[in-house]
Amino acid sequence: MSDALGTEFVGRKGPYFWLSLKTGVLTILTLGFYRFWMKTRLRRYMWSAIRPGGHPMEYLGTPLEKLLGFLVAVVFLAFYIGIVNLILMFASFSLFAGNGAAYGLSFIGILPIIFFAQYRARRYILARTRWRGIRFGLEPGAWGYAWRAALHWLATIASVGILLPRQVFYLEKYRADRTFFGTERLHQGGRWQMLFPAMKHLIIAVFLIAGSVLAGQYGDETAFVSLPLGIAWLGYGAIYFRVESLRLLTNHKTLGDIRLQATPRAGRVMKIYGVGYLIVYTVVGAGFFALFIVIFAGVMAMIGSATQLDETFDIEMIEALSNTPFWLTTILTIMLYFTIFLMWNVLSQVFVGLPLAAHYAQTFSVLEPRHLTDVSQRPRDEFAEAEGFAEALDVGAAI
Amino acid sequence: MTETLVFGDLLDGARAFPRRVALSLGTNHLRLTPAEGDAVAWPLSALRSPPDQAHPTDLVLALADDPVTRLVIRDRDLAARIRAAAPTLHKRPPLQNTRKLIAWSVAAVASVALIIFVLVPVMANQLATFLPPSGEKALGDTTFEQIRTALDDGGFDPVPICENPEGLAALAKMEARLTASVDLPYPLTVHVLDHEMINAFALPGGYVVLFDGLLDIAEDPDEIAAVFAHEVGHVVARDPSRMALRSAGSIGVLGLLFGDFAGGAVVLFLAERLIQASYSQEAEMNADIFASDTLEKAGVSPLGLARMFERFEALSGDQPSLLDHFMAHPDLVSRIERAEASGSDADYTPSLTADEWQALKTICD
Repeated sequence: MSDALGTEFVGRKGPYFWLSLKTGVLTILTLGFYRFWMKTRLRRYMWSAIRPGGHPMEYLGTPLEKLLGFLVAVVFLAFYIGIVNLILMFASFSLFAGNGAAYGLSFIGILPIIFFAQYRARRYILARTRWRGIRFGLEPGAWGYAWRAALHWLATIASVGILLPRQVFYLEKYRADRTFFGTERLHQGGRWQMLFPAMKHLIIAVFLIAGSVLAGQYGDETAFVSLPLGIAWLGYGAIYFRVESLRLLTNHKTLGDIRLQATPRAGRVMKIYGVGYLIVYTVVGAGFFALFIVIFAGVMAMIGSATQLDETFDIEMIEALSNTPFWLTTILTIMLYFTIFLMWNVLSQVFVGLPLAAHYAQTFSVLEPRHLTDVSQRPRDEFAEAEGFAEALDVGAAI
Repeated sequence: MTETLVFGDLLDGARAFPRRVALSLGTNHLRLTPAEGDAVAWPLSALRSPPDQAHPTDLVLALADDPVTRLVIRDRDLAARIRAAAPTLHKRPPLQNTRKLIAWSVAAVASVALIIFVLVPVMANQLATFLPPSGEKALGDTTFEQIRTALDDGGFDPVPICENPEGLAALAKMEARLTASVDLPYPLTVHVLDHEMINAFALPGGYVVLFDGLLDIAEDPDEIAAVFAHEVGHVVARDPSRMALRSAGSIGVLGLLFGDFAGGAVVLFLAERLIQASYSQEAEMNADIFASDTLEKAGVSPLGLARMFERFEALSGDQPSLLDHFMAHPDLVSRIERAEASGSDADYTPSLTADEWQALKTICD
């Protein structure tokens, strides 16, 4: 057996497109209830496409357990959100005579629950993921994660972002050190300072923007060029930080005597985002244009047929058109909205999500895999609540 | 055995170690022969394959009653033959937890209903009375601007407020006459919006808003006075504040239920429905009783109220609830009937003079 186990990716745009289109349509037709099935099926496809050492990952979550978990979360969150929002709105208007404070407070109030939900969602996903027939797992610890995440966020904000690497490192360490593959515990090594170099493009961008703003104040016209450049650089800096920190963190992870290696490239990820979203916007835009042409042609045809019938074209016809029943225009508008929403979702899955997964998979390998033979099965984590909280709050339960 | 031997990877679900097994397909069984140890036979009828697999030809096999064991077959030919021979490859596992699922579904629906229809309204009713006038005013200001912007069809400009000075003077006179006998929690803010909608509404903090469309269809000033008095009734009862607090609580809960399947569109839609939703029957009835009392005290004929309702009914079937509770309330009906029976307008004076009425009708010109 060789000393590195590479990962192949066998997902393809065609089948993935049809799968996400089909499940997306069903989700819309069922007012969103099919989304549990959609998520399950998309994950099954994506997991099976990632094959470290040639063996596919397997996703074993079921739609019904997701539905159940969602219902459980709704029972608890309905009370929390309904009552808390009401009280906050009351307090905000009585004390501050405005609703800004209510939205701010209600967001802050929900933050710990969001972190909690993210950890629980991760636990569920790992518990339902298998490779070589062996389950992954995450120890319980969602509340510990929630308060740590809240404090790390505060520290990062208070230090104007300087402590971002510390936050990213320690939160990842908290999760990684509780992650298992079978009986083997994952370990996050390294120090948080090792993530500082990953910040370099973010820092350049911040200085560029600050410099431009300053130059602009003194009437320097180079600011018109350097400010947009700085903002674009900030986008690249954010991607660079994510990719680099992921690479560094992965390379410092060990699973017993097994080591992990990741070599994703920020430039490649940037290109995937750029090209992917260019395609998505072009296609959705072309769809819009085609629809406009069809409507325009339809109206013209009506007017044309009327003139052929020797009727004079007058204002009444315009009125007849604008008198289309309200429910009809409403339904058409809603359908149009959903179609655009659906296409946007499906296309960004196919042209951004899939290539990204492919890149991350293909640049990942397992070093010294001979030690995998030491790994044996762990018991099933029932976890009936699944990712219900994350689903209800719309966080971290994306595929 | 006539089959040619090919290999697959057996993952026994106990160790992270794939074992190479020789495979042969018989009529009823798939035979797995490891390098060491005994061969096993998997009955074809027990073979299952996980759905939605990415690889176009590879076959992953599982056994019906074994959740962990997997067999990965890369040989295209054998995979195809197994796909053809195994009858129930894609059969789904039986449903589990059905009872639990039903129980939690009922619990979820019940708790959401409890929140939206009981808890939030009760709390909103209680809290609305504690809201300080400045808070209510702020709530009203915010909502008024939102509504003005939302009502504009195309652009982003809010619907204009009508400000013809003579019209405003007439409106102020009507306001003064109607509110003389009323103990208001705060001064009213009365506006006419330049919009063809036939409607009027009240907002928290003493806002009374009439639409130009309503002024257009009204045939005499007493009809407008009746609507005005009705809206003042809502202001005095603080109905708009209750409503605003209610929707603040309910919208979050409804958003929770529908998730992000349409990027929040449903949440927005529901939010708008809630804003436009009517007050409770009881609140409407109280506003009507208040209106008829106020008109009486101000010496304005309460018949305007009846005529306005008839007009609403004639225009569209869209205001049945208004009419229903109005008709269903014998006290109110008898009062109107008394006014009608007396026949003489002796006790009453029109709420505005003919000139003032003209000015009010052209307030938006």
